[in-house]
Amino acid sequence: MLGQLIVSGLAVGACYSLLALAMVIIYKTSDVLNFAQGEMAMISTYVAFTLMESYHVPFQWAVILTFLFAILLGASFELVFLRQAKEPTVLGLIIITLGFEMILMGFAGWKWGPDQRSLDFPVSNIETYNLFGLVMSKINFWTIVITLVLMFILFLFFRYTKVGVAMRATQQNQLAARVMGIRTKWILSFTWAISSMVGAVAGMLIAALGVLDPTMMMDPLLKSFASAVLGGMTSLPGTAVGGAMLGIIENLFGGYVSLSFKSVVAFAVIVLMLCIKPSGLLAKHYVKKV
Amino acid sequence: MLKKAFVSMALLMMVTFLMTTSGFAQKVRGVTDTEVLIGQTGPQTGPAALWGSVARGSGLFFKGINDEGGIHGRKIKYFLRDDGYQPAKTRAIATEFVEQIGIFGVVGCVGVGPGMAVRDYYTENKVLMVSFGSSGVTNWIHPFNRYIFPIYPLYVDEAHGLTKYLFEHMKLTKVAVFYQNDDYGKQGLEGVERYEKEMGLKLVASVSAEVTERDLSSHALKLKSSGAEAVVMWAMPTHAALLLTECAKIGFKPQWVTSSTLADTPVMMQITKGLWAGMILSYPIETPDSNNPLMVKYRAWHQKYEPNERWGTFYYSGCVYAEPLAEGLRRAGRNLTPETFIKAMETLKDWRGIGGPFTFTPTDHQGAKYVRYAQVQPDSTVKILTDWVRITQ
Repeated sequence: MLGQLIVSGLAVGACYSLLALAMVIIYKTSDVLNFAQGEMAMISTYVAFTLMESYHVPFQWAVILTFLFAILLGASFELVFLRQAKEPTVLGLIIITLGFEMILMGFAGWKWGPDQRSLDFPVSNIETYNLFGLVMSKINFWTIVITLVLMFILFLFFRYTKVGVAMRATQQNQLAARVMGIRTKWILSFTWAISSMVGAVAGMLIAALGVLDPTMMMDPLLKSFASAVLGGMTSLPGTAVGGAMLGIIENLFGGYVSLSFKSVVAFAVIVLMLCIKPSGLLAKHYVKKV
Repeated sequence: MLKKAFVSMALLMMVTFLMTTSGFAQKVRGVTDTEVLIGQTGPQTGPAALWGSVARGSGLFFKGINDEGGIHGRKIKYFLRDDGYQPAKTRAIATEFVEQIGIFGVVGCVGVGPGMAVRDYYTENKVLMVSFGSSGVTNWIHPFNRYIFPIYPLYVDEAHGLTKYLFEHMKLTKVAVFYQNDDYGKQGLEGVERYEKEMGLKLVASVSAEVTERDLSSHALKLKSSGAEAVVMWAMPTHAALLLTECAKIGFKPQWVTSSTLADTPVMMQITKGLWAGMILSYPIETPDSNNPLMVKYRAWHQKYEPNERWGTFYYSGCVYAEPLAEGLRRAGRNLTPETFIKAMETLKDWRGIGGPFTFTPTDHQGAKYVRYAQVQPDSTVKILTDWVRITQ
């Protein structure tokens, strides 16, 4: 049972990591916690669902079109809502994301209704891979692979590309970045677009693992937030480590201590980490110079 | 001057006197010569919006009744309000219903939390509550309340009956329970435990989940390691789908049993990708494709008035909940007051609409005491396994 609890924890942790990855991308660039991340992913997933169910678009094309939609959604949110904020503070921007979350939730309820749906996915959630008696569903396995690959690509992107460096510079000091010729507004839109796309990947996988409904991202968003705090809010590898650790901790707690209190483990992790090591396990403590 | 003051005083006294005399006092809130005002709260938005179709189903029923001419010359004027499943909102709507609109009664009003927030307020204001709460918790019958007429089978008795069925018909004794950690889930657990105790058996496992949880892998492992032959599940649709999938992954295939709250078989089959087939559940109403003449009539109304609504069990449950109200109005006659309505309702004995037989007496308002057991077939239909079985004594 111990081995299976760990494997299942890793599988669910990969979902947390993916969504945490999307949150961290925005946080790294603008210090903003995006509370609409889950609902943006949910809306994108509904778009994929509608394309496949109503317009019979093949899966791969539906995914590509959904990515395009997610990019547009992320960029336009930044452009239409955040950029218009007058003398914005970080707290003010976070409140705007909360408002956007509610708008999206209401929109999904109105457009698609509250019924639970099933998202068709080419990889089975019931067929499993077996290794030494431990089982993992095919989709769980591919979620882990996708998370690691995405994390690696983003890591390279932030470290070695000009745009990536510009994104980090924008986070550290927007004014200085602008003085150095970085088009910070464009960078922010780009960040939201990329984050929204990563969120769409998470949304589709989470829906395929469970059910698709307007509330499907509420719990994963909280867990992904805990994962990001655990791994480090500014560290991309930290999200993978944080997600995997949280998934395993939760499952071991549920398996050996109490299933009734399993759902509060994530809160305990957030509180503990903020008390012991606020920067997270893998992020360096960064102090802004004034 | 004195004369003027005297006349004014006399006029005031006369108005006060007239207002307190029988002619004025007889005016019943929510009843006019041509209308009866009925309200219903139900979540049309938010996480529980799935159950909002119940209130819309009642709306369909009232449309049909009104088109047939109403009841005793009165049409039913129906007020549907969205409470988002938030008790504070339900309470605010209740004030609007009573103090602004002036309703005669409410029907349905899904939810234990929302219902508990307004039960006492409605009682104080003599608002009739028919099929109240749309749920099988015991909160509507304990303590006895003559204004409430619940018609949902009690969860505790439903779970007891299902466990009995497992034992007597399928010889399954190693039973585990998976339940939602709230009143609904706990009363399911209580029913199973009661039967196990009566038979000198012991539950092999009881596993709970919080409403918001989305990862049930460790719950599935715990159930598997208990060695259960059957699992009684008292949960919401999402949890049911997640748990069945997790159990299928680890190769755990017990006999699954569940409550009538998960009777929307086409939806459950879709979201479990077919794993729902074989599920045994209690079925307190007619099946969606039933040839019962009333079902045929309601389906025709559905096609005529609301063809865009899905003909699911939650939706036509709205008709089931509204039926006893209409029957009560018929039996109360033209002289409609809360008292005449209550007396009329208490004459219903084994009365049938498209639900099970309902009986109300002056000392017992738990209307539904019977269910049928059914099994889900691979083509998403249900096969009724038994006749009506009495589960509440």
